[in-house]
Amino acid sequence: MHSTTIKRRKQYKNILIYAIVVISLFFTLFPIYWMIKSSLTPDDLMYTPRPSLFPERITFKHYQSLFTETSFMRYFFNSVYVASITTLLSMVISILGSYSMTRLRFRGRIFIMRSIILSYLLPVAVLFIPMYILMSKIGLSDNKNSLLIVYLTFTVPYSCYMLISYFRAIPKSLEEAALIDGCTHLQTLIRIILPIASPGIAVVATFAFTLSWNEYLYALVLTTSPSQQTVTIGISTFQFSDQYIWGLIMSSSVISSIPAVTLYLLAQRYLISGLASGGVKQ
Amino acid sequence: MRKKNKLLVNQNEKTLGQLLVLPLFLLVFGLMGYPFINTIYISLTNKRVGYDSSFIGFKNYIRLFQDPTYWMVLKNTFVYMILAVGVKLVIGMILALTLNEDFKGRAIVRMLLLIPWALPGMVAAMTWKWMYNDTFGIINSILKNIGLIEVSIPWLSSKHLTLYSVIIVNIWRGIPFFIFSLLGGLQTIDGQLYEAAKIDGANMIRRFWSITVPSILPVISITTMLSSIWTFNDFENIWLITGGGPLNSSSVVATYTYQIAFQYNEMAQAVSVAVSIMPILIVMILFASKRIGKED
Repeated sequence: MHSTTIKRRKQYKNILIYAIVVISLFFTLFPIYWMIKSSLTPDDLMYTPRPSLFPERITFKHYQSLFTETSFMRYFFNSVYVASITTLLSMVISILGSYSMTRLRFRGRIFIMRSIILSYLLPVAVLFIPMYILMSKIGLSDNKNSLLIVYLTFTVPYSCYMLISYFRAIPKSLEEAALIDGCTHLQTLIRIILPIASPGIAVVATFAFTLSWNEYLYALVLTTSPSQQTVTIGISTFQFSDQYIWGLIMSSSVISSIPAVTLYLLAQRYLISGLASGGVKQ
Repeated sequence: MRKKNKLLVNQNEKTLGQLLVLPLFLLVFGLMGYPFINTIYISLTNKRVGYDSSFIGFKNYIRLFQDPTYWMVLKNTFVYMILAVGVKLVIGMILALTLNEDFKGRAIVRMLLLIPWALPGMVAAMTWKWMYNDTFGIINSILKNIGLIEVSIPWLSSKHLTLYSVIIVNIWRGIPFFIFSLLGGLQTIDGQLYEAAKIDGANMIRRFWSITVPSILPVISITTMLSSIWTFNDFENIWLITGGGPLNSSSVVATYTYQIAFQYNEMAQAVSVAVSIMPILIVMILFASKRIGKED
């Protein structure tokens, strides 16, 4: 009697779990499905008041015209350029800085650490106008290189914030032994800390890349000509007078999602522990 | 001799330490601190693009506070933030609790639920804009097919609806952050606590409120705070889907600021909008950074 109620309760619980999973997956994945489906739908089937849920005919025409008739490739390479260099620069700055803040003792250490947390939280919406003014002043208006500088303002605080907790988790005893043996601080960083922290560093670099790849507002105000613009800005220009060309927009959306989503899915295994250790720990 | 040597080492450590954080220091104080302070100064001038500016005191603020649009935008921003964050927290919690249970296919479900967070915000916005389309949108088409509505819902053209339409998109994209942050917290709870409560006869809801919530309260509050800051300042979602319209009905602080600065070319006026919300932001930021700083 008792065991059957437990069994039944377990069954109810399973039904509830699967119901939640099915509904949430539908809500999460439908827009993505619709984006991909639309990118493959010929125009005559796309612009009808009752579009069919499943693909009836598939066409690669939108992708073809994306690469042959628009500046999409340019936007894409600009994004690759900006995101990779930003990631590289911010990793160098943050690794050195985080090492210094977790391992070396000097005055102002705590102050810098606090300012980084504060700057991590300072939103783009507040900074974009003064940043625009600053970039015009130093002669970098409508230049994709301005993004290399500006993007550091959010990738570096984020990376430091994560790296500090990774570095802290590495026991100091290893380095102490090396220091006694005559290693310099920088040597311990390169030979001991970096190899141990490398999975963490890879994950942080992944997210720094994704943040830069996905950025919109700075790119919108700091670049105006197609030769300088990144994909996030380029795609929204696929309009004919005020009509959006949805086939082009959806196919370019699919392609520009691939880098960020792939990197995220590769790194997601570490995401849970990363988020939990990166500050939200008690 | 030995002592002197140690002093020397300490001196080296100090210099090296400061040298290594120098780029960080320049970045935070030069590249962010200076423009940030400059913002406040600009808001007290009459700067326009391409013109010299002069100091005009609080005129921009007076003009701003007398403008009913400003108050409407502020109200929209709060509705946007409170509704979106509230729903994200509730759904995120339900999904985190679900993913914390054992079931077949959990790993793959967890991975799939993450995708909206990884997409560029621009892609999310454009996809939903297409789905909301008044004539060709799939959402109206589905609702008609299952007989829920007869006339298309004007998702993006009714001034009573647009704000809610963009809130839905923000929720869609923001839920994964809540799921994964809360899930990280849930996994640190000691299972024995639940066993003990079960023996004491506490039911599921009781266990949730007396064990789960108190155990992960710090995670809940930091996640909510971070999301509130981001949602309060959201730009591209609204800008790309509605442009703030119609008649500013979905305009929020970030889009309003952008419009004044780059469509009306009134830099100083725009900056005064950004400065005017600073007190609210500073409270949120200090609260969040205090929570983050706790681990030190």
